[in-house]
Amino acid sequence: MLRVVVDGRELSVPPGLSILQAAAGQGIEIPTLCADARLAPSGACRLCVVDVEGEARPVAACTTPIRDGMVIETHSPTLEAHRRSLLRMLARPYPRDVVSRAPDEPFHRLLLAYGLADEPTGSAEPGKVDDPHPTIRVDLGRCISCWRCVRICDEVQGQFTWRVAGRGPTTRLMPDSVTTLAESSCVACGACVDTCPTGALEDRSVLAVGAPTRWTRTTCPYCGVGCELLVGTHDGRIAAVTPALDAPVNRGHLCVKGRAGHGFVAAPDRVTTPLVRERGSWTSVSWDSVINFVAGRLQDILERHGPGAVGVLGSARATNEDNYVLQKLARTVLGTNNVDCCARVCHAPSAVGLKHLFGTGAATSSFEDIEAARTILVWGTNTTENHPVVGARIKQAALRGTHLVVVDPRRIELAQYADVFLQPRPGTNVLLLNAMAYTVLDEGLLDEVFVATRVDGREEFQAFIQPFAPEAVSAACGVNAESIREAARLYATAKPAISFHGLGLTEHHQGTEGVMALANLALLTGNLGRPGAGVNPLRGQNNVQGAAHMGCEPAHLPGYAPLSDARTRVSAVWGSEIPEQPGLDAMEMLDAAEAGELKALWVVGWDLLLTQPNAQATRQALANLDVLVVQDLFLNETAREFGSVFLPAASAFEKDGTFMNSERRIQRVRKTLEAPGDAKPDWEIVARVAQALGRDDLFAYPDAEAIWEEIRRVWAPGAGITYERLEAPGGLQWPCPDTQHPGTRILHEQSFPGIGPVATLERVDPQPAVEVPSVEFPFVLVTGRGLYQFNAGTMTRRAATGEFHPGDRLAISERDAQRLDFAEAQPIRVRSRYGQALLPVEITDRVPAGIVFATFSDPRVSINQVTGTHRDPYTHTPEYKVTAVNLEAT
Amino acid sequence: MKHRPGSQARWVPVEAESFYHLASVRLVDQPCQGTACFVARHRAPDWAGVEASSPRLYCVGCCYAAPATAACQVQPRVEVATSTPVVLERIASGVPATLAAYTAQRGYEAFEQAIAMDPARIVTEVERSGLRGRGGAGFATGRKWRTVRSQPGAGKYVVCNADEGDPGAYIDRIILERDPHCVLEGMMIAARAVGATRGYVYVRKEYPDAATSIRRAVDEARAQGILGAHDRGQNQSFDIEVVDGQGSYVCGEETALLNALEGHRPEVRARPPYPAERGLWACPTLVNNVETLANIAWIVRHGGDRYATLGHGTSRGTKVVSLNSLFHRPGLYEVEFGMSMREIVEELGGGLETGAVRGMLIGGPLAGILPPHLFDTRFGFDELHQVGAAVGHGGIVAFDEHTSILELAHHVFRFGAAESCGKCTPCRIGAPRIADFFAAALAGQPAGTGGEAEWRETVDTLAATSLCGHGSGLAEFAHSVLTYYPEQLSSCFA
Repeated sequence: MLRVVVDGRELSVPPGLSILQAAAGQGIEIPTLCADARLAPSGACRLCVVDVEGEARPVAACTTPIRDGMVIETHSPTLEAHRRSLLRMLARPYPRDVVSRAPDEPFHRLLLAYGLADEPTGSAEPGKVDDPHPTIRVDLGRCISCWRCVRICDEVQGQFTWRVAGRGPTTRLMPDSVTTLAESSCVACGACVDTCPTGALEDRSVLAVGAPTRWTRTTCPYCGVGCELLVGTHDGRIAAVTPALDAPVNRGHLCVKGRAGHGFVAAPDRVTTPLVRERGSWTSVSWDSVINFVAGRLQDILERHGPGAVGVLGSARATNEDNYVLQKLARTVLGTNNVDCCARVCHAPSAVGLKHLFGTGAATSSFEDIEAARTILVWGTNTTENHPVVGARIKQAALRGTHLVVVDPRRIELAQYADVFLQPRPGTNVLLLNAMAYTVLDEGLLDEVFVATRVDGREEFQAFIQPFAPEAVSAACGVNAESIREAARLYATAKPAISFHGLGLTEHHQGTEGVMALANLALLTGNLGRPGAGVNPLRGQNNVQGAAHMGCEPAHLPGYAPLSDARTRVSAVWGSEIPEQPGLDAMEMLDAAEAGELKALWVVGWDLLLTQPNAQATRQALANLDVLVVQDLFLNETAREFGSVFLPAASAFEKDGTFMNSERRIQRVRKTLEAPGDAKPDWEIVARVAQALGRDDLFAYPDAEAIWEEIRRVWAPGAGITYERLEAPGGLQWPCPDTQHPGTRILHEQSFPGIGPVATLERVDPQPAVEVPSVEFPFVLVTGRGLYQFNAGTMTRRAATGEFHPGDRLAISERDAQRLDFAEAQPIRVRSRYGQALLPVEITDRVPAGIVFATFSDPRVSINQVTGTHRDPYTHTPEYKVTAVNLEAT
Repeated sequence: MKHRPGSQARWVPVEAESFYHLASVRLVDQPCQGTACFVARHRAPDWAGVEASSPRLYCVGCCYAAPATAACQVQPRVEVATSTPVVLERIASGVPATLAAYTAQRGYEAFEQAIAMDPARIVTEVERSGLRGRGGAGFATGRKWRTVRSQPGAGKYVVCNADEGDPGAYIDRIILERDPHCVLEGMMIAARAVGATRGYVYVRKEYPDAATSIRRAVDEARAQGILGAHDRGQNQSFDIEVVDGQGSYVCGEETALLNALEGHRPEVRARPPYPAERGLWACPTLVNNVETLANIAWIVRHGGDRYATLGHGTSRGTKVVSLNSLFHRPGLYEVEFGMSMREIVEELGGGLETGAVRGMLIGGPLAGILPPHLFDTRFGFDELHQVGAAVGHGGIVAFDEHTSILELAHHVFRFGAAESCGKCTPCRIGAPRIADFFAAALAGQPAGTGGEAEWRETVDTLAATSLCGHGSGLAEFAHSVLTYYPEQLSSCFA
């Protein structure tokens, strides 16, 4: 500790702080306009100058590190006079009436505090307003040149959109378009708005709704990163969403979806009463009546066809509590293990693959390890668009010099930051991973100590891997051999190395084995069980890890405990029998429906018709059901075409509970708004149906916390997690077996759960492609999501994010577009062996020749008419990433 | 560094072009508006036209022939005014700028000596010499070298600051044009001493001949194997790149210069960290100006102790001063520290052609004016500092009755405001505000609503809080006006 004197007080402060930070830590507030804890100090505004004994001139507290023995004066009359003078300089040309209108802006607070509220004499200059951006309003008349927007865009988002032009008195802010922000490289993350101390940059939502009067901390309802939000409401509406500064996941940052994607909660087509379809049209009914109706129909089908004829699908966007109650209902009340969630169609291969090799089907490390890593391997994840806050962290790491290896068929944004960028043919992941493993062994790069103590099967693996020399697989992968070797060398030698993978690895007919092949690589190189290392699936939706983990899984009970192992234990806690036979997964349920064996399906927060592959088959399956209960915020495509009952659910902003993010982190979801109309939390709806079916005893939950308390009793690694402990920023990462346990950042430091200290290498033979381009179908279609568009678009289409995403587009290379004579935005028919869709093309350098890419959020397009039937054999996860198609102008 | 921060950013030409006022300008015969030209404006046929001309050219380093233009080809008088010349001897005696001529004069012998020396010993010699930076701040050169040397890591840089922007100074320009190898030799010795492998010379755009000369010298040295990727038995190669400025006074400030070299907007960086710890591309970087480096070979050859016998007080060695065109004998003079300013003005310069000296600016406009009653002050860092002036770059601009204090003050603040980088509040807003006061006073109008109180408040805040020496230097100038010419100043607020 360093001893310093600040304003006559002797203090001891830890080393490494600036004077500003040290003073703040002691409750001494030094005024500043250009400082933001998220940014490197810049010393531009000069308001924070303080006197330090021995220094000829005052020094800026933000840029001056504290030294032992410093004697500091922070508020002498002279310093205060300088501050007043600086504020006056800034205030003079400032618009006159703004301070009183928005007294809480930091600059305005300072003007008020220094008695300078009347100093601004400028007037609003309409010419300085930049209006066309969908989420951010820019008024450069209020810019005081602190450059926080520029710095946060550089240092946090890494977008470099805001620039400074001119010098001296003509110094001015501009977007990199030089015209409007709307035309710039802006990705609408809103970080600049967040840091702006004057309101020169403002969220449009605040202008539309009004300044927030109440703030509630909660967790983002979008992707699996799990950013913590502060939701500001005004008159029961969301006016603004800002990042929690102390959140370990997002560290004061958000993306466009988190910040501006909330409009769906107040969308005009939000369904607010239960609906029943009678003779083809929907009728609003009361909860009592709809619950009795659902209970009655389920009862009827159970009696006539048995529990095997009923299926339940949980939602990755619902809370852990919601999903837990839903699977409990399936198992106890309906008597079936036919319960699943949409992890099935995304990361089930990660769960199975990682569980198989490491004993735990979840990310082995944490986002914190991005900054600890020397090499980051990004495989099949367009991180900056689909997990943007993690993407920004990876980008910043790369800018600081961390090695980056990017593997993706598309030239994603991260590719431009990569030391090595591999652009393989879709469907060649296993081959490529094996070639990297070959290189590690061939070039003697394996971690001998780690392999000797923690890994089994080396000799067999060594023999097995021989055919996979990079030079041998290069042509098949479409990647040159030396690049493969270079990627392997970095991952194996510039350690610790961490990997992040997405659906580009899992949504393949060999998805699970792809994950295993990636896990092999971590074992061979010892990139496991230590800071900066690990294998990490980036989960697609906010709670997809949690939904499956809570037991919305046909073969696993809560805690991802295999049914056979845990059935007795869990049924003892529940006081109810659990069926012995594993149930059908989502894919099998639809197959069974098509075959007429499944009669009733209850689907929560999942638009099957729009998102399942091979939509024709989905349509037939849904049409075949006797009862389809849809529980959602909106009449989604599934409900619109096939629903028999619609149960209006509360959104994540309207209820309490918890989410589990990609890194096993449980965080609180807190009620911010009243649910509109009759909408209710999912768990409450489910519990009412259970009660109507006579099992009030099992579902008497007064609130979400009571459900969580029960979850703790059935899930030992989560037993230490309580709502009270979750009040801390970032919640807790499981395993957290007792209430004293700090949670777990890194798995497998000593051993593999259920396996022991030694994991076994898996010999993964590449399977021949099942979906093969041909003369008739010469292109490969890859589907995925994008920055402004989240999955089925149920939420993003109904929020400001929708303004950035005009609808699904077919991305095509310039070469192919030229060859086929397609013009930008021209409507193109995409046809596969399974179906067809019509959508406009977008000519881009992001996709290579031979590959086309589309998002799947647009019901008008319904690109899943085109996707195929192939599935991963372990998990039945569909191969969304490879469909052979042809293209024709219409 | 694998990536330079910002290197992924989309290139937006407006950024650089709007900062550098000469980015896309070809220098031909544009008139100079530097301070020496300003005080000699009565010799210019159309000064109003000059001041209105664009782009503004602020000192082409022909102050001895002011008013001048970019086409000026006149060479200045160069004299040694000390018994022990360190810097100007070769130039004064007409030794050509070639490598052959330089080596014939024992050039690069010091470098050979340095190779044989323990690098730590080189630093010690420089420390013992008492040499202080000749670029303005007067920081102890040896201490800076030691700091860079003591930093861990292999990637270190030596940067020669050849952005001699202070109007009135043309010392570095002449050294670069006529004795470039001695600057290179200084850099090479410095690199050897601190462990740098790469050097940059950042030459201001207004000095095209200097850039040509130093480039030619680099090529010669490289061709001879003196520079470049050659292992000279020291496990260390060293190469130098010459970078052209694009028109910005503030790039002479070392941290702004580093930003310019990195391709960033050349704003000033907050210190600490100092460039010696974290400079170019975040690596330890030694930044020395041209004349400082021109002293190094002599120090190595003769020893630091010998150098330290020259000079006076804390100002050791010799210094080159440059006199403006109003003197009878304008030109470059190498003097020993300790001489009185009066001797420089009267004996070397021969006084002004047009009569009495009203005052002198030493080392550019970012320091106080020296009034005639203080001409007996010795030429030295501490001595000048005590009277509110500075050694600065060593450029001396004396002015006469043709220039009133208000006119000079307006000229200086107009320049200062336009050359501010715009990063910090007091300089970006305060400097033009003060310029407006003087402009209003010259126009016989009331100087704003705040009057003298606001003027003083603005100057005081600029002095106390500006991020770098640009703002505080301007404030020092304003303070010296207040101190030495109070009656002229009060006429502003009358």
